Amino acid sequence: MDESSTDNRMSVRPFFSPFLAKLRRLVFFGSVVVVNLAACYWLYDLFTRLGMHRAHVLLLAVFFILNGLLVLGSFHAIFGAWDILWGKKRAVRITKLAEQAGDGPLAKRYAVVMPVYNEDCNRFCARIEAIYRSIEATGRLDSFDFFILSDTRDLDLWVLEETAWTNLCRKLNAFGRIYYRRRKKNSNRKAGNIGDFVRTWGGGYEAMVVLDADSLMDGGDILKMTRVMEAYPNLGILQTPPKLIRGSSVFTRLQQFAMRLYGPLFIRGLNWWQLGGGSYWGHNALIRVKPFSEFCELPDLPGREPFGGKILSHDFVEAALMVSQGWEVWLAWDIEGTYEEAPPTLIDHLKRDRRWCQGNLQHLWLIFARKLPLTVRAHLFMGIMAYLGSPLWFLFLILGTWVAWDREASGLSNLPYDGTLVDRYFHIDGVTQSLILTGFIFLLLFLPKILALTGAILVPRVRRSFGGMFPLIAGVTLETILSMLLAPCVMAAHTFMVAGIVLGHAVGWGSQNREADGTSWGEALTVHATPTILGIAWAVLAWNISPTFAAWMSPILLGLILCIPVSVWTSRARYGKSLAKRKVLSTPEELNPPEVLKLADVANASIDPALDASASGRHGVVAAVVDPYVNGVHVSLLEATELGESEEALVERCLTMGPGAMSKDEMIELMYLAPGMLALHRAVWLRPAEGIHSTWTQAVESYRRRIDTGSPDDIA
Amino acid sequence: MGLPHHPLETLRPLSETELSEWEEAYAAVEAYLQALRLRNRLLVAELVRAILWRASARGAKEPGVPARVLAMEETLSEIANWTQDVLDEPLENRRLAARGRLALLLADMPGKWQGVFLTPSPWPPAFKEAMCKSYLAAGPHFAELTMIPKPLELNVIGSGAAQWWETMDRRPIVRKMFALFLLALIGATVWFIFFK
Repeated sequence: MDESSTDNRMSVRPFFSPFLAKLRRLVFFGSVVVVNLAACYWLYDLFTRLGMHRAHVLLLAVFFILNGLLVLGSFHAIFGAWDILWGKKRAVRITKLAEQAGDGPLAKRYAVVMPVYNEDCNRFCARIEAIYRSIEATGRLDSFDFFILSDTRDLDLWVLEETAWTNLCRKLNAFGRIYYRRRKKNSNRKAGNIGDFVRTWGGGYEAMVVLDADSLMDGGDILKMTRVMEAYPNLGILQTPPKLIRGSSVFTRLQQFAMRLYGPLFIRGLNWWQLGGGSYWGHNALIRVKPFSEFCELPDLPGREPFGGKILSHDFVEAALMVSQGWEVWLAWDIEGTYEEAPPTLIDHLKRDRRWCQGNLQHLWLIFARKLPLTVRAHLFMGIMAYLGSPLWFLFLILGTWVAWDREASGLSNLPYDGTLVDRYFHIDGVTQSLILTGFIFLLLFLPKILALTGAILVPRVRRSFGGMFPLIAGVTLETILSMLLAPCVMAAHTFMVAGIVLGHAVGWGSQNREADGTSWGEALTVHATPTILGIAWAVLAWNISPTFAAWMSPILLGLILCIPVSVWTSRARYGKSLAKRKVLSTPEELNPPEVLKLADVANASIDPALDASASGRHGVVAAVVDPYVNGVHVSLLEATELGESEEALVERCLTMGPGAMSKDEMIELMYLAPGMLALHRAVWLRPAEGIHSTWTQAVESYRRRIDTGSPDDIA
Repeated sequence: MGLPHHPLETLRPLSETELSEWEEAYAAVEAYLQALRLRNRLLVAELVRAILWRASARGAKEPGVPARVLAMEETLSEIANWTQDVLDEPLENRRLAARGRLALLLADMPGKWQGVFLTPSPWPPAFKEAMCKSYLAAGPHFAELTMIPKPLELNVIGSGAAQWWETMDRRPIVRKMFALFLLALIGATVWFIFFK
């Protein structure tokens, strides 16, 4: 790698003029603040008409934050729409910059890294295969190496990963191009996994494409990004906006449709003000390795988890550290071939949110860090508020209920006093004023959807890509209704999460469920019982206050009361498929799959009966002992060691008592012991059945049964 | 195919125990060859027979060693020796077994070269080349970079909060008192708002 890359960039002017960047940020955040202040003043005016209540002060304070977040979101869409309509020429287009950089061979080498943790190896290998073939089609494969960076703790999955990787390399003839490495200790989770790669091999590469286990990227787009990285030495991270794909449940289809239709507006709006001070979302991004190694080793936060200790949401912080050191972080908004998958059910989504919530709340410390630019603090703040917003909304509703209760109990009329500032200057009576303010809030809520739908209907290419006008309108209507029903449930869940974290409950590191097998009624009942009971109790209270108040509260209360059936119904893949047949909630990638998706769909190089650790009776660890090839692959990847007396005893115990009698630590020790694994392999084949555990004899027998019964996988 | 130097006349009567032992030995060797994904049944049968003849010959010299042990030792050593001859590289005994089996897999012996398996040299050049160049590497040569975490520089508020937070972590009594204070504060606020 070019040692002087860090110095080179100092002589290059920032891509975005600092004046322009400051001006844009001033306009954007200035507009948000002005509109929010106006709305808050209007509410204050309304409260004055009512006669100020003790809760109104708190209500106003919470409204200021909540409405601020709402305005912030909506203004991203508005500025995004403006940028799409009039700012195209001024927006950075990676495609254009890559074209300007030429089409010659790449000067530097690049790594494509995929950290995995207890994932389905055939699925992530299929994605690696698709990306590999896609880059191969560009003719620039020689500049890329691929790394599967495993942090898998499940021992069976470890063996399956080894065999899948070996098969992948055999079929693609990619030995020396695709590598597999498993960490003995997965310290510091994903950030530690990437850090370990950078420390070990990072010096050989200019930049790395960081993927998630469910990521997929087009080779041509990766090439464009690397060309831009070579052309702009100031560029530290190039983040792409991944599209959600392969949604089969209603819940995932809702998410992918919403992100695909409304997402571009937000992405363009975000890009409009962040420019070179962008953020990193943890995957589907190209990162320059040298500055990453220099500045992005994460410090521990003060105190213990959940608020202190190791940083969970590392991506935002890595981008923050990069930007604070003068490196630019861009959002490659026009990169199309970048995809990921979403959790299939509401419950899986909330499980992931639990982890993200703790990680984002840890960022509170960074708000108080020195030398961080405004954009970085803005990103951190938005990340924190994505979760703190829920308890605030909850508090807002409680305060609103209390005000309504008090008002009802007092017997006073609701809007008794005219003569406030708004009334004097605009001559709007109180009822009209409250309706206008409500309408304004609803407009802010639905404006992104309206803008995106209008844009999609008006542009024939976009309209056709979503399946036409009817599916588009039906999709937006369904998405809006279901989002309204889901939002209160998510609010309640986030509130409990935040409360749990405040009370000191740290989260573990779980693997993600990527299969849409649906939520059972029992599981939904367990998870959503509290919000449902809360919703019913609140509905009774609201009805007692007044039917009108209950009607106003009904969208939220319905969401809480119905969260169990909504959670179950939206998790069902069969309903999702039924909608897909009618092109409702369909995305352009579903209706007209891009090349790399087609490649991933047919990719099966990791599966080969000649090397298989997934057969019945000899799965995973058992295969690593019994199967001559699986054992050969596993042992070949281990370091050469000697067998001591204690290890020999371990081998003997495993042999006679079976793997089930061993602790996980003992099995890990054994599996890292090359002579131990070889001794086990030899012994299970040599010794008569009486001398070893039945697990081994049955596994040995299973090879004969295949011949005797003529099973389909009979030495295929 | 076949072993002409072992005519049927050389067979001797076997007891039921011996038959049962050799049946088990046969099954084990056959299963191992199946595990190596040899597809051709005739080839498997021939190899099993040849290995068992050898094991039987050894058995005559080493009475008391179970037939299965003899047969499987013969199988494993025959494969190891043969792969060493093909690979033509000195390997420590234990590593050889894994290296040999890996080479068989990566050279696609089950798919393309099962007819060559355990045959004497000369071997087809393509097979020998495929065997010799088969290896696994978990990564390229090391190209190390250092990553050293820089301490978080907090501003005045952050530093104060960090000190306070760490004190609470170190001293549970302070944490409990702080929690009590917070609860009291919340209680007082609620009382002020609702009841005053």
